[in-house]
Amino acid sequence: MTKIPPIVLVVDDDPSVGRAIKRLVESVGLQAAHFGSAQEFLRSERPDTCSCLVLDVRLPGISGLDFQRQLAEANINIPIIFISAHGDIPMTVRAMKAGAVEFLTKPFRDQDLLDAVQIALERDRTRREKEAEIASLRQRYESLSTREREVVVRVVSGMLNKQIAVEIGTTENTVKAHRSRAMEKMQAPSLADLVKMVERLESFAEKAS
Amino acid sequence: MISANAVMNGSYDHGEVARSLVIAIAASYAALDLVGRVTAARGRVRLSWLGGGAIAMGTGIWAMHFKGMLAFHLPVPVEYHWPTVLASLLVAILASAVALYVASRQKMRPADALSGSIIMGAGIAGMHYTGMAAMRLPAVTRFSPLLVMCSILLAILFSLFALLMAFGLREETRWSVPRRLGSAAVMGAAVSAMHYTGMAAASFIPASPPDLSNAVSVPPFANFGVVMAALIVLVTALTTSSVDRRSRAEIQRINQDLERRVTERTLQLEVFNQTLRKEIVERERAEEALRRSEGYLRLVIDTIPQQIWSGPPDGSLDYCNARWRSYTGLTEEELRGAGWQRMLHPDDRERVIQAWSEAVANGTRYEQEERHRGTDGLYRWFLARGVPLRDSEGRIVSWYGTNTDIEDRKQAEWALHEAQAGLSRAARLTAMGDLVGAIAHEVNQPIAAIVTNGNFCLRQLAGATANSDKLRDAISEIVNDGTRASAVISRIRALLQKHTSRSVAVDINQVIQEVVVLLRHELGGSRVALRADLDGDLPRVSGDHVLLQQVVINLVMNGIDAMRSIEHGPRQLLIKSARDHDQVSVQVKDSGTGFDPQQAEHIFEPFFTTKPEGIGMGLSISRSIVESHGGRLWGESNSMGALFQFTLPAICNSDDGVL
Repeated sequence: MTKIPPIVLVVDDDPSVGRAIKRLVESVGLQAAHFGSAQEFLRSERPDTCSCLVLDVRLPGISGLDFQRQLAEANINIPIIFISAHGDIPMTVRAMKAGAVEFLTKPFRDQDLLDAVQIALERDRTRREKEAEIASLRQRYESLSTREREVVVRVVSGMLNKQIAVEIGTTENTVKAHRSRAMEKMQAPSLADLVKMVERLESFAEKAS
Repeated sequence: MISANAVMNGSYDHGEVARSLVIAIAASYAALDLVGRVTAARGRVRLSWLGGGAIAMGTGIWAMHFKGMLAFHLPVPVEYHWPTVLASLLVAILASAVALYVASRQKMRPADALSGSIIMGAGIAGMHYTGMAAMRLPAVTRFSPLLVMCSILLAILFSLFALLMAFGLREETRWSVPRRLGSAAVMGAAVSAMHYTGMAAASFIPASPPDLSNAVSVPPFANFGVVMAALIVLVTALTTSSVDRRSRAEIQRINQDLERRVTERTLQLEVFNQTLRKEIVERERAEEALRRSEGYLRLVIDTIPQQIWSGPPDGSLDYCNARWRSYTGLTEEELRGAGWQRMLHPDDRERVIQAWSEAVANGTRYEQEERHRGTDGLYRWFLARGVPLRDSEGRIVSWYGTNTDIEDRKQAEWALHEAQAGLSRAARLTAMGDLVGAIAHEVNQPIAAIVTNGNFCLRQLAGATANSDKLRDAISEIVNDGTRASAVISRIRALLQKHTSRSVAVDINQVIQEVVVLLRHELGGSRVALRADLDGDLPRVSGDHVLLQQVVINLVMNGIDAMRSIEHGPRQLLIKSARDHDQVSVQVKDSGTGFDPQQAEHIFEPFFTTKPEGIGMGLSISRSIVESHGGRLWGESNSMGALFQFTLPAICNSDDGVL
């Protein structure tokens, strides 16, 4: 997995503000990109690295808050820092409830923005790690044969080998063979690890559905 | 036995007999006439008439008798014993008195007539035979008893007849004179008949000469004298009687005339009285109708849902209807004159009294909305109206007016106005909010960029390795953004100036008057008394009518807002326009609390406000507008309130008109 540096994505219809933020963010060793509108942002190819969004509330065509909802609906879980020339409390509450990291009023203190960026990137990094782990698990799980999956599901639910053999119509030894091979494929050092892995997969699947 | 020769034959002088008959008739006429006089008279007069009449009548009868005696001639000289003659006269007078008395009484019963006639007849007979007894001649008188009796009976009959005649003829009538003459002729004849019967009863036998003491012979001139005396007495009596009758008749005529006139007058009075009575009845009926009509009108006036009043030309009050009295709980006496002023709301009193005084002084209609205190101590709004009633020469005779309760309408109006005001304020705030938001965003963007870039620079400079290229970029962006922010402000300014670029000649007084009309409700609802002191000879200014109107609205609204907290004390606003050299100045002065002198310059800054609901743009925009017109706007304050004033350059007459 190649390590690409985190990137801060700035969406502000004012190019001047956008450039200033980009410049500030880059000054602390982070990458930054500026988009003039929500459409421009959506059209661009987002780098596969941990990132965060600095979003102006007032955008041409669509408000920042509506855009936040659109992103969530599109399952784009990028952390958002709002900036506004005239933010009010209801707007702030709505943004924060919808998962915003921070709501800053222009002109903001540079440190406030940078702190918020750090938090947002950290949150995104965690998220990305979690997503990567799940993806790896899924990959491993998908490498299992049909028989092996049948055995794993039953092992995780607490059945004994003998019981499993009776249920799927085979011998206890065959079950043992499938089981050890599946644990090897899943890279599970112990039965407990396997149980945890399957649970995480299931919860992710539930979440996804 | 007496020989035939012994009786002396007497002869009658026929002329004398005729004369005696005339005297008898005259005496009878006098008797009949005098009875009427005696009857007509009363008291002493009656007594005099009775006495006088008896003398005249008696003398007349006696004279006839004596004449008749003298008419008898005997062949011997005859003398008369005068005392006996006088006695016979007396008897005649007495008999006449009885006759007159009886005939002149109110009533004459048959018994009276009979007894009267017997007395009278006896009297006459007495007189006759007494007269004959007075004769002195050388003979003895013998009487035939039959003829004597006959003569006495005749005398009585004659007397009865005379009494009846006299009684019947005593009233004065149209035919009384001829009838009396007729009767007198009959009576005279009867008297003569009786006399000559009496004479015939006597026969004279010659004898020795008689005792001639006290006897006189009657010479022919004496005979004539007796007749004359009797006639004089009779004529006197008749003349007196006639005069009396005439005067009596005159009196009677006058009396009758008087009576007639009295009757006529009485009739007239009766008619007049009747007319009067009828008129009184009619008047009473009219008065009753009037009372009823008045009562009805009073009922109408007191019942209709209006307070009604009237008063003399001096503006005092002399009548108010029951509605008003019952509303205020004051009596008519208490409301009279200037008493009605006591029910005015303290805040209205001055205005109402002034307006009423002006109406009274100018004779113009009065119309004001004013609060009146009710019996419950609460005030309600009334629309008071008054109109003068003028006579044909245009002088005011009296004032009439009504007060209409408009409290409910007023409440509804306020509610409506409150809602409208709220709506318009909200709309204004929203519009202002949008404007401010837009401005804030416009200005805030470059500022945000400047701050961010500035921070970047500081960070770069703080670091060990400052990248000069990056610093230059950032700083040039800062400069750009600063320029940009300034440009935004210039654009706003230009936006305002875009209006004034289409400026025209504006009459600032008209602007003020329009504002007063526009804000009339706002002023009234806030209990603000507005006074406009406008210079009538004001030059025009060049500018945008609507923008200048907004400036005045803004200043007036500020004044109203500044006085909202005043609970007591006057809320007065003065708008004054004046010429100040080549400038026009407008002052708006309130009686509010004023502002802190330390804030004097801040109040013109955008977003600075001392009002709970203010956004702090009014004065700053107003100042921008005024300054864009080439004028100045400033404020002063003291304990009496705040004064805001702006000046605008006046247009010279030469460039009046559209610019």
